[in-house]
Amino acid sequence: MTPTAIADWNRYADKHRKLWRVVRVPLTGAAAAGWPIAMRILSLLAFGLYLGFFLLPIAFLVALTFKTRDEVLLGRFLTGKPTLENWWKAFEFIDLTGFIGHSLLIAAASAILTLIVATPATYAVTRLRHGEFAGSLALSSYIAPPIVALLPLFFLMRVFGLLNSFAGMILVYGFMNAPVAYWLLRGFIEKIPAALDEAAWIDGSGFFNTFRKITLPLLAPGMVATGLISLILSYNEFLFASLFAQDEAVRGLTVAISLFQGDRFVNFGQMAVASLAGILPIYLIALLFQNRLVGGLTAGGVK
Amino acid sequence: MLLPLIAGLLVFAVYPSIYVLALSFTKSTLGQPFKSWIGWGNYRWLTIGGDDIFAPSLLRAALFSLGVALVELWLGLWLASLLASLKRSGRLARSIMLLPLMTPPVLVGVAWKLLLAPGGGLVNGKLLAWGLIDAPVSFLGAQPWAMLSIMVADAWQWTPFVAILAYAALRQVPDDIVEAALLDGASDSVIFWRILLPLTAPLLLTIFILRLIMAFKTFDLLYILTFGGPGASTNMAGFTIWRTALRDFDVGTAAAQTVLFAIFVSVVVLPLLWLHRSLEERAS
Repeated sequence: MTPTAIADWNRYADKHRKLWRVVRVPLTGAAAAGWPIAMRILSLLAFGLYLGFFLLPIAFLVALTFKTRDEVLLGRFLTGKPTLENWWKAFEFIDLTGFIGHSLLIAAASAILTLIVATPATYAVTRLRHGEFAGSLALSSYIAPPIVALLPLFFLMRVFGLLNSFAGMILVYGFMNAPVAYWLLRGFIEKIPAALDEAAWIDGSGFFNTFRKITLPLLAPGMVATGLISLILSYNEFLFASLFAQDEAVRGLTVAISLFQGDRFVNFGQMAVASLAGILPIYLIALLFQNRLVGGLTAGGVK
Repeated sequence: MLLPLIAGLLVFAVYPSIYVLALSFTKSTLGQPFKSWIGWGNYRWLTIGGDDIFAPSLLRAALFSLGVALVELWLGLWLASLLASLKRSGRLARSIMLLPLMTPPVLVGVAWKLLLAPGGGLVNGKLLAWGLIDAPVSFLGAQPWAMLSIMVADAWQWTPFVAILAYAALRQVPDDIVEAALLDGASDSVIFWRILLPLTAPLLLTIFILRLIMAFKTFDLLYILTFGGPGASTNMAGFTIWRTALRDFDVGTAAAQTVLFAIFVSVVVLPLLWLHRSLEERAS
């Protein structure tokens, strides 16, 4: 189709989409006019390769879990005689379910704390234009590498006896993710028409009441997305956890894996089992909530 | 309403900065911070030189961060424009792309370590089987492979993130502008370079800055993949500081290094933020 024909077609499509489900011809990218078929096939091939690249490490982990120690050394992808031994051995060697449980507990509680801290504050800054310095401080604190806070927080937590405790980790992550949450929520709040708030104010609703009754319900999807992203960030965190929560009673998955992979007696198959088991909860969340997550990611970065 | 956030910022941003700054003028250990004040002692290498660990690791962190941020922006933009042209299969592609982004970096490190292992790793196994190499390559134990491996693992994790953001940015360009250009007979490359790129430049710069900041924080991948090795050749600033504090237990020096690292990151990032602001002002 020529560009003119596409434009005509799209105008027709726009007009009749509701009635006939007419599909627009995309104008950008590989499908735009002027691309030879060969180029399109090539770009699709490249895309396929790239998707393969994304799947490769995960697929290799899956393949590894079915291999014995000798099979692993062959360096092949598939194995002739798969075994399930690694699966029960890995769970026997380390308390995987326990560590994953710790991680999930800390991540979920800290995500809720993050929302409690960030939501009202974001509303105050973006809607009420109140305390804007806090907003810019939150953003600039994101630039600083976390290593800056590592030692000061360590000494502070030691003073308060919070090292190696669930409460300590929940507090650390809850506040650590507040700037990110602020950033994301700002995008969501700006999408809610300010006229709604103003109408409520005029009708005599107080600031707090307006926030609770008008903004919060409309913000709920954004809060779910922000909460999920905070949860994943906490679940994945390693630097703070490696210093603040080494004790087995609170040890989370990332620290457990880092110790496990340094162990000489561990074979690749068990390592792969432990890794996959650790990734699984996050992947389930990702697949169940993927639209929410994509919405959340783009709300902060691209307004 | 602001109180919790301000309290949080005081504890997590203001207090650490002041504490680290104070710590950097002391002789301190993990067990006993603030043993004694020693003035500029921890910064001495600045004046007399002779530091062959920290300064190179700062530079390495900058090169690594700029490198991966650029490569990921380029690949991500390309992926995003492909994503825009796919329809039904686009959803599946997007689901697959979400996965690396969600994977804990520690586990990304483990997966790539297993892939690249000299004995039993898939990469070496295949290269040997195809006769491309005679003996296994120690990808994580020799330069420049070690640095490249970290970059590949990082790109694996974060290119999808860039692609998702870039896709959203591209979609914000109104269709009618592109249509008008097409009607005027503009070619695909002209549309990309003269319309899409200038219109999305502020957003793309935001994405680049975001990735740059995140790349400066890289720690987990290094910890798992190379632990700074071979020798000190993949040490990056954050990791060097961690080693100074938690392996050499020299907390005072680590604090001084932290102060310099924070200043260094700001010096690299701030001009980009100014550029971003001026781009946005010009756009509006």
